[in-house]
Amino acid sequence: MADSHATDRSEYSSIATRHIYTRVRTQALKGAVEYQERRIRVHHHLKSSIFMASRNQGSAPRALVVEDIKVDCVILMHMLHKLNCEATAVENGKEAVDLFLEGKTFDIVFSDKDMPIMSGPEAVAKIRAMGATEVKIVGVSADFGGREAFMQAGADVFVSKPVKLETLESMLKVVISKKNMSG
Amino acid sequence: MSAANQLAALIANMFATGLLDDQFQQLQMLQDPSAPNFVSEVVTLFCQDGERIIGELAKQLDKPSVDFDRVDAFVHQLKGSSASVGALKVKNTCIQFCELCQQKSKDGCLKTLETVRINFYELRGKFQTMLQLERQVNGFPPNN
Repeated sequence: MADSHATDRSEYSSIATRHIYTRVRTQALKGAVEYQERRIRVHHHLKSSIFMASRNQGSAPRALVVEDIKVDCVILMHMLHKLNCEATAVENGKEAVDLFLEGKTFDIVFSDKDMPIMSGPEAVAKIRAMGATEVKIVGVSADFGGREAFMQAGADVFVSKPVKLETLESMLKVVISKKNMSG
Repeated sequence: MSAANQLAALIANMFATGLLDDQFQQLQMLQDPSAPNFVSEVVTLFCQDGERIIGELAKQLDKPSVDFDRVDAFVHQLKGSSASVGALKVKNTCIQFCELCQQKSKDGCLKTLETVRINFYELRGKFQTMLQLERQVNGFPPNN
């Protein structure tokens, strides 16, 4: 009797486990389908909104990414391309400053804080000191203490990592509308 | 179970066990027909970079006199890239690691490096399985 009771319990436990597993798997598959649909909606929304804004302006916004961490750079560049930006990447603050010294112009700069050779805030200060006051400069860092350093250096805004696509989109819309207004 | 089902279950499990957070979903949502391999490229880059950084950390902490600023710089890199791919467990361990660097605790850093290593390689293994399953789902034979 005790053995049969133990066997029933063991069978019940096995059935319950299978049901739980099936439920988790079903939820996972349902989740996978939902995220796929969400992804397609996000993709179409972004393509239409920034594309229309930049088409009205006549040229794509020019972005400079200053980032030494390859993964972060690849992700940010991909997001910018998705938002129809012409994006250039450099690995440290000195390379960014050199581009400005060469006479290159950008509509927006995204700069990491801690980089070899020259940090983001140091580069921002030098870029502003050159007279590049129109370019929108965004300080980006996983370090919350970066906000003060960037703002003191002359950045327009600070965002914490990881940067969201929606955040980039709203920043670029501001840049594009400013370009449209200045003709 | 089909490869697609296995893939969905694996990813769900990685979220459920705290290996990944919603930043990984952000990456998945960035993938589109113009960049069909975006997630696998980012994941591969993260794994390569992570391995390199962990090697550098081990070298730095093996020195008789540890340069904690240098150690902190490497941990900061790994923390940043972990946050960007949604590697939650690795990121959280890196946060603890940074604090130990500030305290200049060599023992603490060594113990935490071991935890980072375990968490990183656990994640890397699951990412590798994920990429294999994606290849099968897309009709390619698995890499051997």
